[in-house]
Amino acid sequence: MNRRPTLFSLIMAMPLLVWQLAFFLFPLLFLVAISFWTVRNFQMQPDLSFANWERILSRGVFWDAYLRTIVLSTAAAVITSLIAFPASYAISFKMGEKAKRWMIFILIIPFFTSYLVRVYSLQVFLSDAGIVNAALSYIGLGPFSMLNNAFGILVGMVTLTLPLVILLQTFSMNFINRDLIEAAHNLRCGRLRTVFAVIIPSAKVGLVVAALFAFILSFGDFVSPLYLGGGNPPTLSIMITDITKSGQQWPRAAVVAIMMIVTLMTVAFSAISYAYREKGK
Amino acid sequence: MGNENRIINILLKVHIALCLLFIFAPIAGSFVFSLNSDRFPSLPLGEFSTEWYRLIWEDPLVWSGFANTLIVGLTVAVIATALGFGGAYTDFRYNFFGKSFYLALALLPPTIPVVIMGLAMLAFLSRVNLSGTTISVIIAHGVMCSPFAMAIIRLRLSQMDPDLEAASWNMGGNQWQTLRHVIIPFTKPAIFAALFITMAVSFDEFAVAWFVSGLNETLPVKILGFLQGQVSPRINAIGSLAFISSMTLIILAQLLLRNPEEPKS
Amino acid sequence: MKEAIDMTGQPEAFVKFENVVKRFGNFVAVEKADFEIGRGEFLAIMGSSGCGKTTTLRMLAGLEDPTEGAIYLDGEKVNGKATWDRDTPMVWQSLALFPFLTVQENVEFALKMRGVGKEERRQRADKWLEKMQITEFANRNINQLSGGQKQRVALARALVTEPKILLLDEPLSALDAHLKVRMQAVLANLQKELGITFVYVTHSMSEAFSMADRVVIMSRGQIEQIGTPEEIYREPYNRFVAEFLGSANIFDGTVQGPAGDDGWDISYEGGTTILPRSELTDAKQGQSVTFIVSAENMQLSLPGSGQAGIEASVAGEEFVGGTAMVFLETSLGQEIKVQKSHDELSALDLHAGSKVIVHWASESCHVLPGETG
Repeated sequence: MNRRPTLFSLIMAMPLLVWQLAFFLFPLLFLVAISFWTVRNFQMQPDLSFANWERILSRGVFWDAYLRTIVLSTAAAVITSLIAFPASYAISFKMGEKAKRWMIFILIIPFFTSYLVRVYSLQVFLSDAGIVNAALSYIGLGPFSMLNNAFGILVGMVTLTLPLVILLQTFSMNFINRDLIEAAHNLRCGRLRTVFAVIIPSAKVGLVVAALFAFILSFGDFVSPLYLGGGNPPTLSIMITDITKSGQQWPRAAVVAIMMIVTLMTVAFSAISYAYREKGK
Repeated sequence: MGNENRIINILLKVHIALCLLFIFAPIAGSFVFSLNSDRFPSLPLGEFSTEWYRLIWEDPLVWSGFANTLIVGLTVAVIATALGFGGAYTDFRYNFFGKSFYLALALLPPTIPVVIMGLAMLAFLSRVNLSGTTISVIIAHGVMCSPFAMAIIRLRLSQMDPDLEAASWNMGGNQWQTLRHVIIPFTKPAIFAALFITMAVSFDEFAVAWFVSGLNETLPVKILGFLQGQVSPRINAIGSLAFISSMTLIILAQLLLRNPEEPKS
Repeated sequence: MKEAIDMTGQPEAFVKFENVVKRFGNFVAVEKADFEIGRGEFLAIMGSSGCGKTTTLRMLAGLEDPTEGAIYLDGEKVNGKATWDRDTPMVWQSLALFPFLTVQENVEFALKMRGVGKEERRQRADKWLEKMQITEFANRNINQLSGGQKQRVALARALVTEPKILLLDEPLSALDAHLKVRMQAVLANLQKELGITFVYVTHSMSEAFSMADRVVIMSRGQIEQIGTPEEIYREPYNRFVAEFLGSANIFDGTVQGPAGDDGWDISYEGGTTILPRSELTDAKQGQSVTFIVSAENMQLSLPGSGQAGIEASVAGEEFVGGTAMVFLETSLGQEIKVQKSHDELSALDLHAGSKVIVHWASESCHVLPGETG
């Protein structure tokens, strides 16, 4: 209404801004800063040294972990998206309004359970003498090793991300104009072909965003790699927790963290650009 | 709907059921295991037992963890809801230079991996000698929970007739009176929902809490400790209790958001 | 355009807009609004969407600040005075009743904001609830009322502080047709009874003309004409207003020369006519002039009757109550509207395609001052 900020508007807007600047943005910037600091006598000292960077980036261990983390998160994002798609499709197109709302409520429940507890429970399910192997033994299938390997990690990551991906995909498919689909059928496009020709392109942004969230969550997760994957060889997130908990070498952990952030931002930016790029531009 | 193929529909419904099974098996399993006598449950299941619940009931460490979680949760709920309310109202009413930056800052925390947030907060808070205290967890959770509060309240504000605020000014109410007599009454259900949901998010948040809480561990951090020590199925008991309490909060929040226009008697 | 407003005989000015301009970035919403509103006057501001009428009203209420110019309320300059400090209650298009309050609480709201005590609040609100005949709904929630009842709550809420001016922003647009007519009567009577100034914004000409003492017609931020309904109807100022009124036929002509002592010879596409000097006091040969003849003043004759006029054929008819509007098309493609009673029409025996001669008395012509010169 008025040009000058009033006391009222400042009281409304400032607290959140100040809080986030001080406790969100600043710590992240501080993280960048301390990556150049050095540790002497178990204390972090302000410095301008590239020693941490050289040390981390020159070690094979780091790049192995980097590659492993990227491969695992990409696999998790792809697998989750593929598993989620038929489910989201069914919810969005084959269910009535009431059923849809129930499904959404059901899918929100996992967000309010402890991921840790679920992973612990998964340990019980997946261990060599656990529930799944016991059930399989009844039909004569030999025990499978599902823990302390990539399989266990992926199961954990999918557990973490599947509800969110289904919700995001369903949400974006809900917005597709139903007339488009009828038009496609009308033009003799079969059901399966319609999915590829109409539905996926129309929901492209939502599908990419859903996969992106799955990637981000998996990339930063340390619980599944640690408790379902054995922790060794480590992912980037495990590297950070190891370095932090075993000493004061926070600057080195900061280097790893920054590499993670840069990677995530690059992936996010590319994904969003791809999603929003329109044909013919 | 003549273009439907019966078989495909059935397959799709089966697929959804399998997905739900996959998602809820660990949750249901945890509940079942908490009442099971076996230390390492398998098939066939052991006997029914409430041993684990008894153990956590008697463990002072669990109680102190619970107390910390409660203190943090209640405080964070109030702080995050207040911050989120301010942010939501600011977005609703004002346009200004740098608004995108403001919104990004307000809403981005959930997209940053918790390990990174934990490390950043740990480094920062210890530099200002706040690390290892309950306050540090409150600060960190304030950052992480206010986006949720802001989103919930902003959604409710978008359902408000934009003329309502102007009508109040028109009737002689200044901005403070309008806030008190119009905006807050209208958004009340969303405010309560935000309180409950931020509390629930804080309850379950373990990663950042683990980094910054030092010795004043919250309950989820204790759970992490138990996991590392491979110590025990008590986790299932704690998890089941935590789940029940979180669900109660969520259901209350849902009910509130569903009946916005209660006539005052 | 600037219409000189004759304030002699008008009640004293209560509101004054002085060269008010409102810009939103590069968009000019209101361009040089300059007019006065009298104490106790019912003024309608009329125009189609986007013409600036609502913006003008909002500036008076304090919801927008003028970019240039000044607004005076009861002698005091109110630019920049906050909405809540003015006493300019408004009835909103969406009614904006508070859904979390009962009817009684809604009506008491303005008094509560002003710090009036509980007991006095209730008494004053009760008085207005009774006046608007909604006492029985006092404790109901807003959602339980019908459209018409909600209207009356909105009015009670606005009037409870006994203000000197009431603003109304298209308050009847959401009502059914028969309710609209009834509410128009309610509003008109209410205004006369209270004797306060009403400023009423609408896009409906019939609403404005039936209720208002004076009407302001706006288009694209400009005020096109201000006057009483009769003045506007009989003497529209320019082409826009004439077209807006809808029942006038507009002709563009050129002055040929004087026609006797009290007229001018005018040629236009389709023929010649004579305009009386009372309509056009001074003119030069070759000057362009636009004039209208209203549909009621059009005469029809059959071809072959020897009557001079425009040749046209019947394109269609529209019945409105006891009269009919006949649409004719000339050989040059111009549309002419003629209003006749059913009796007169049946005497002519017309059907689609029938040829007629259209003519009028020169006294029926009105020159549009805004288009001349």
